[in-house]
Parts: sequence; structure tokens; C-alpha cells
Amino acid sequence: MALLEIKNLHARIGDTDILHGINLTINRGEVHAIMGPNGSGKSTLSYVLSGRNGYEITEGDILLDGESLLEMEADERARAGMFLAFQYPVELPGVGGMAFLRAAVNARLREQGEDEVDQLGFVKLVRAKATELGIKDDMLKRAVNVGFSGGEKKRYEILQMALLNPSIAILDETDSGLDVDALKIVSEGVNSQRGPEIGMVVITHYQRLLSHIVPDFVHILSAGKIIKTGDKSLALDVEENGYTDLMENANVA
Amino acid sequence: MSPDTITLSSVQNRAQERFTESGWPAKKSEAWKYTSLDALASASPQPANDISGAVAMPAGIAGQQSRLVFQGGLFRDDLSDALPAGVQLVMLGEDERALAAIDEIGASDNLVPRLTVAKMTAGISLRVAQGIVVDRPIMLQFVGGAPATASHPVIHIDVGDAAHLAYAEHHETDNGLSAPFIVVRVGGGATLDHIKLQLESATTQHLGLTCLSLGERADVNSMSLSLGGALSRLETHVRLDGEYGELGLSSIYLGKNNQHHDMTTRVAHEVANCNSRQIIRGVLDDKARGVFQGQVRVAPHAQKTDGQQMSRALLLSRDAEADAKPELEIFADDVVCSHGATVGELDETHLFYLRSRGIDEAEARAMLIDAFLIEAVAEIRHQGFADLFSPFLSGWQVPRKG
Repeated sequence: MALLEIKNLHARIGDTDILHGINLTINRGEVHAIMGPNGSGKSTLSYVLSGRNGYEITEGDILLDGESLLEMEADERARAGMFLAFQYPVELPGVGGMAFLRAAVNARLREQGEDEVDQLGFVKLVRAKATELGIKDDMLKRAVNVGFSGGEKKRYEILQMALLNPSIAILDETDSGLDVDALKIVSEGVNSQRGPEIGMVVITHYQRLLSHIVPDFVHILSAGKIIKTGDKSLALDVEENGYTDLMENANVA
Repeated sequence: MSPDTITLSSVQNRAQERFTESGWPAKKSEAWKYTSLDALASASPQPANDISGAVAMPAGIAGQQSRLVFQGGLFRDDLSDALPAGVQLVMLGEDERALAAIDEIGASDNLVPRLTVAKMTAGISLRVAQGIVVDRPIMLQFVGGAPATASHPVIHIDVGDAAHLAYAEHHETDNGLSAPFIVVRVGGGATLDHIKLQLESATTQHLGLTCLSLGERADVNSMSLSLGGALSRLETHVRLDGEYGELGLSSIYLGKNNQHHDMTTRVAHEVANCNSRQIIRGVLDDKARGVFQGQVRVAPHAQKTDGQQMSRALLLSRDAEADAKPELEIFADDVVCSHGATVGELDETHLFYLRSRGIDEAEARAMLIDAFLIEAVAEIRHQGFADLFSPFLSGWQVPRKG
């Protein structure tokens, strides 16, 4: 069975239709890149998949392991294995980082019918994963994302992904705001989590992320539809020629 | 009786005359603009003269305090603990200085010092001798009572020069009206840690006034929580009378259903070089209403005053309402004073971020409410008081899972 199936997905915010019938099937072990120009619906797609309020799905369905997600709230989807790495991770003043991570991990463990982690064991686990991502101890003690640089916020997203062990991860413009070194660390963090059990959707405007996180499939999103699908060479094609040609060809087609 | 002699009955008689003259606050009275006492004035619960209600002793700081128990407004010496060495308890009538201070406050136009002194149900005076450090907090516990009765305890506390006192007030009565009047003189170089827990029954109206005066280099850290009661007003007046005084005066109110919480403070910087800092946080659900009125007055010669005040309210429901009225009256020119008041809702983006990590809505909201309050909670200096305080905040919220 496919891990994630997006079937003829139409979505709108208020009176504005944004997604116009997206079809996409992701199997375990696959990494799919979704590329597109600004305003093509990339972020909307990530929010609709993760269950953010305010988006209306007018047609179609999203299935995770064969189960429709449409009636599930964001937290239920997350506990079922969905993870969204935010383009702009949210600062939560006053919410302690460790308490936040532990609440998230315990929510997922409870859902899976497993024992919650004890505090000491959890701190050890977090420290080990954090070290791999170059996250300093003092960052872990701060309030969630407060006082973090852009690169630190992205690393913290990948840390959460590593701790939550999702079955499907959506990385929304994870490369935005990263310098070359930070991009490398974040990409290594993502790559270390690739495996036969997880599916990934890497949403990006630029090709550069995809030379670090090499996708199995590349889809071009334009005006709320996937207009072309290919392998990693399609990303290079975009890099070379831009989106305009592809969009024009799609219109002709 | 010589004209110089001040007696409890003369002070009470004057309070009664003043109350008869001024009566309940008029509707258009500026100080009572947001809080109506009409229901109270018409119900007019009578001062308790018998012990009533059960004494369910609230938990304190396990085995670490000296309790003074007031049942339905009456002092229960027999249920109270012995006080630490250096702390003296006398009946109010035996303390002329305390009576004079109380009488003087009653002369200015205010409700509680008149009503409560006139109808006094218990009056005690506590004196902490000069230089004495009271490690074990004194807990004033107000319990019991009945809906038809009113409790009017009058308490004077004198913290001697260079002494240290920690005292807590725990108000959990079933009285129709609970109107404590507490006057505290903090001597030169003395420190005071104080918390007040307003956990009255759902039908109680609580009108409390605490008046503090600070001598030179006195240092006060005070936190109030207003959580119970149908209608409550926690009013605090502070006079900084000696230079280099330090005042931390913070409060939290949590309202549900039709509760009305009024936090009113009046801080007077009478002399130079004093600091005052107020952090107020309110969370209101259902149709609850919250009021913060904060007056900071800086006298003409009170230069180098630093007076800060920040009030924030969080509305969890469309029907909840928060009003804030900060007032700065500054007559000195070399001062740093600021105030701010905000009213807001939980941020949808914050909620979504937490929920996208699998944290359910109730827990996510609880985490954000805790985060909203944490800055005020962090103001509590006394660790035992902080430990006593925090469970009421989490207990107020929707029960958490796991």
C-alpha cells in the first residue's frame, strides 16, 4: 500500500482557490521533491497536508496508510506519523524547549501504545541527537525557537523530526535562510533519517537543496497543479532554464 | 479618657460614622467604574458573630509554617500555631500605634477601611521585632463562614527595622462577603515576602484592601492570585516612604463563568530613589471579566524613581472582557516610569505549531497559558511561596492528559 496518496486535491482559503487537483503517490523509502515558483501553492500544500485550520478542501482526498486524513486535526495527523518542518519555525516565548520536545514525543508514544520516556533518559536522547545536528546545549534550555538564528531554527526542526520518528515528513522550504554551511548540516541531518520506512516530501523553490538531499522524483507545481514529473535531472533543468518554459509548455499541453 | 488616648471603640465609631457618611461607592465613582457593588449592597451580609462553617485546613508548605486561623471571620486562637520567637501577637485593641495607623487610613475616602473596621469580626496585631528573621512563613488562613454572613478581619503587621518576614494569606471562605483589611508597616532595611491566594467560594464576594508602607531600604516582594469568588477586588496601596525602597507587586487573575476579578493598585513614590515593578497577567474564559487599575504617583521631590507597570490579559472566549486603566501621575522630572496594557487571544500560529507536533488542543492551550503567566510567576522570590502558588495555576486549566 502507498504511504501517502493525494487524490485530486482541491483546496481554498476564503474565496481563493489555490490547489486545483493534485495527484501524488508516495511510497515508503521515497523522497519526492516539489518545486515551483512563488505563489504556486507549495506552502498551501504543506499546510493542507498537515491539517492547519483555515483551509477548505473542496474536492479530493489525502490518505495516509490508506486512511483518510481529512477529518483528522493537525495533532491527530502528527500522532499518526505526519511531520511538517516549517518554513518559518514559530517562536514560543515562555514554552521551555525540553518540556515541549517531551510533550511531543510522549504524545506520539502514547498513540503507539508505548511507554512514555522518563525525563533522564529523554534528556540523554535529545542531547545525543542534538550533538549530531550541531545544536548546543544552551539552545535546548531556551524557550522554543526564542533567540535562535535562522539556521538554528531549521536544525531544531530536524531535531524534532529525528525525535518524533515520522512515517511521512514534509520539509517546507527547509533551505530558505540557510547559508552554505548550515545547508550542509541540515541536509546531512535529513539524509541520516532517510530509510526504507519513511517517505519525504521536500518542498523548495531552488535546486540547490536537491544536490544535498537527492530526490527520487521531482514534481513541478504551478498554479495549484503538478505540471510535470521527472527524476532529479528535472530539477537541474529548472535551474538551467527557469520555470517559465515549463509553465508555457504546460499551458500549451 | 484623655483626648490623646486612642481606643478600638473610638476607631470603630469613627469608621462607622465615615461609612454612614460615604456609604457604598456610587455608580459614577471613578475608582469603582468597572466594579459594581450594587448586588452586595442590597444583599448586605451581616458581620459574623458566631463561628460558622467547617474548618477545612488548606494545605500549606508542608510542616513549614505557623498558621493563624480565621473561621468565618473570627480568629481561632485555639486552632492557630505558636508563633516563632521574636513575633508577638496581641489583640488589635491593645496596640495603639496600629489603631492610629488604621484610623488614619480610614480618614481618606475608601470603602474597606471604613466598612471593615466598623464591622470588625476579628482584629489582631503582629509585631516582628527589629532584626528578627522569620524563616517559617506565617500563614493567615481564612476559612469557614456562611453565605448570609460577612467577615471583616482587621490585621496590622509591623515588620521591625532590618527584620525579615514571609507571610501568606489564604482566603477560602464560604462567606457572602469576605473583606479583609490588612495594614503592613515594613521598617527600614526590612524585607517582606508576601503571597495572597484568593480562592473564595463561587458565591463569595471578596473585597480586600492591603496597605503597605516601606521605610528606607525596605524591600517587598508581593504576589496575589485571584482565582475564586463571584466578584472580587484585590486592592493594594503602597507608600514608599523611605529612600532606596524596592517594591515588586505582581498579580495574576484567572476568571471563568461569570466571575469578576478586579485588581487595583495604588503606588505612591513619596521620596527619591525607589523602584517599583508591577507585572499583572490575567486569563479570562467564558463570560468572565477582568479589571486592572494601576495608579503610580511620583511626588515632586521623588527624583530617580523607577516605576514600571505591565498588564496583559488573555481572552479565551469571545464573551470575556478585560479592562485596564493605568494611571501615571508624575510630578518629578528625573524619573523612569512606564506602563503598558495589552489584551489578546491565543495565537493561532503558536497553537498550530504545537499541534503539528502531536500535542492535542487542550494541552497546547495549557502550555501557551502557562507560558503567558510564567513571567509573572517568576517574580515570586520566596521558593516556598512559589511552590505553593504554582499548582493553583495548572489546577485551574483544563485537566491535562497523562
